[in-house]
Amino acid sequence: MAEAPAVLGGATTRPVTVTVNGRPRSELVETRLLLVHFLRQTLGLTGTHIGCDTTSCGACTVLLDGVPVKSCTMFAVQADGHEVKTVEGLAGAEGLHPIQEAFREEHGLQCGFCTPGMMLTATALLERSPSPSEEEIRWALSGNVCRCTGYQNIVKAVASAAGKLAGR
Amino acid sequence: MATTEIRGIGHSVKRQEDARFIQGRGTYVDDVVLPGMLHLEFLRSPYAHARINSIDTSAAAAVPGVVAVVTGELLAEHNLAWMPTLSGDTQAVLATDKVRFQGQEVAAVIAESPYIAKDAVELIDVDYEPLQAITSPQQALEPGAPVIRDEKEGQTDNAIYHWEAGDKEATDRAFAEADRVVTLDTFYPRCHPAPLECCGCVADVNPATGKATIYMTSQAPHAHRTLFALVAGLPEHKIRIISPDIGGGFGNKVPIYPGYVVATAASLLIGQPVKWIEDRTGNLISTGFARDYHMHGELALSGDRITGLRVKMLSDNGAFFADAQPTTCKAGLFHIVTGSYDIPAAHVSAVGAYTNKAPGGVAYRCSFRVTEAAYCIERGMDILAQKLGMDPAELRLKNFIKPEQFPYHSALGWEYDSGDYATAMKKGMETVKYAELRKEQAARRGGLASPSLLSHRTRLRRIALSGSAEISDCAGVPS
Repeated sequence: MAEAPAVLGGATTRPVTVTVNGRPRSELVETRLLLVHFLRQTLGLTGTHIGCDTTSCGACTVLLDGVPVKSCTMFAVQADGHEVKTVEGLAGAEGLHPIQEAFREEHGLQCGFCTPGMMLTATALLERSPSPSEEEIRWALSGNVCRCTGYQNIVKAVASAAGKLAGR
Repeated sequence: MATTEIRGIGHSVKRQEDARFIQGRGTYVDDVVLPGMLHLEFLRSPYAHARINSIDTSAAAAVPGVVAVVTGELLAEHNLAWMPTLSGDTQAVLATDKVRFQGQEVAAVIAESPYIAKDAVELIDVDYEPLQAITSPQQALEPGAPVIRDEKEGQTDNAIYHWEAGDKEATDRAFAEADRVVTLDTFYPRCHPAPLECCGCVADVNPATGKATIYMTSQAPHAHRTLFALVAGLPEHKIRIISPDIGGGFGNKVPIYPGYVVATAASLLIGQPVKWIEDRTGNLISTGFARDYHMHGELALSGDRITGLRVKMLSDNGAFFADAQPTTCKAGLFHIVTGSYDIPAAHVSAVGAYTNKAPGGVAYRCSFRVTEAAYCIERGMDILAQKLGMDPAELRLKNFIKPEQFPYHSALGWEYDSGDYATAMKKGMETVKYAELRKEQAARRGGLASPSLLSHRTRLRRIALSGSAEISDCAGVPS
């Protein structure tokens, strides 16, 4: 029979401060709390989804200091002192982000479950490569799974967003 | 002001739901949070087949934050240890006597947080006595095979059903008189729909009103309300099933799963809302799969005309017969497997067996033995053409049901109301420039099929197939 994990009855906690979508959030968290649970459960930001628990599907992708990370495989304490952007932080005062507009216009989504992760991965790509080739787009999105199988339109949406950003 | 602009059909329309999805403002089941909500986590069986001698939940129950540990024994006290399936069988909600597949739900912890629930699950001690596991329908139907469903009164083997359609004698005669017979054996492996969102629910049974509100990943909320009424003994008007935003289903969210039932029972017993969210492993090893059956097909030929079709299907249904629809598998097979062809005699048998695998045959992306049946007949046609040294398109054109034969009654008892398959196929052939592709093939490979041509042939075959499926759907699939 398995022995009781050491955390039982006295979970190790630590204070963290994570800047989420521009706002510093200070919380006392269990050291084993996953970043995705910190976002979804502690902060109530449910736009970030959980699809596979194993870093495979990309539904939980957020940006950590601008870089896409899979938040189901990272502890909240590892994000202490860093900046996190989630889907809730994509739109600005001037309205939707071009990637959001493009996903809608190009029908880049069906059930919407993979969409936040897709869009965050795509914004990071466009940040470092403003006019990516189709191959680059597909490579960048290779860690994000869509089970409704809308990849064609997702790729189109990213290309369209690149055009919108260039026109700004 | 009135407009004369035509709208609707034939026009691009933006989806209503996209606005919330692109802003992270959708409401999937795991996004639902209710006051006082508790969390459910399952202990699953490590064995495919084992007797349960005892379950010790005391250490789990003692973990701070654990509200209850639910076992099959506890559910049995409330007559909830077993539930009906959509196919008229029963399925264990939590195992009592035996576990019958790896990953089966054995016990559930209800706790204040999902982390505490997972911790406590690790502390449940189950004494199992492993039994021989049956992993194929052939093995299941061997004489003397261990009886998986020994709890069912009168069940002395692993057989579930045996359906037949067509005229056996006439078919046997057609085969006895045939110039040529071709056979094919195909195994359609088990696959999983794997929607990106796993299954889950938030069950909220209000002890004051006696009403149950269940937010669940459901593709069939009305059927589920009826099943909940049957299981809980509540009238339907006291049950509200809410199917919020769903992260894909593909058939996987049609069956009823133990998680929904245990969460609801726990909410009823505790008086607080209970959330169950499956992890990916749980989704893949315990919920509705598709396919998993063996098909043996035979075609009889006289000259260049098909005179008979014989099909034997052997289905692996897992430990509980929980097909999402009890007749669609067989009916789907019977009405599609003759394809678009005029086959005077046919006989099909479909046999289902219990095995020590997860239950729940579903229509993965709407194919409930339909694409598989189409594959059987079309692959059979290709093999036949190859044996005859005949162009597969020519063989099909010779054997299609002719326009003047409609309404056509298939040898398996289905009525086809209308169709002109030869014209449709010829159009397809013209579109892909079939004759030129054949010439190219001959030039390149000296008559052998080239990889590039193979892909074109596949496309051509698909054109013929989709016509077949649609016509047959018009003939009336019970759904």
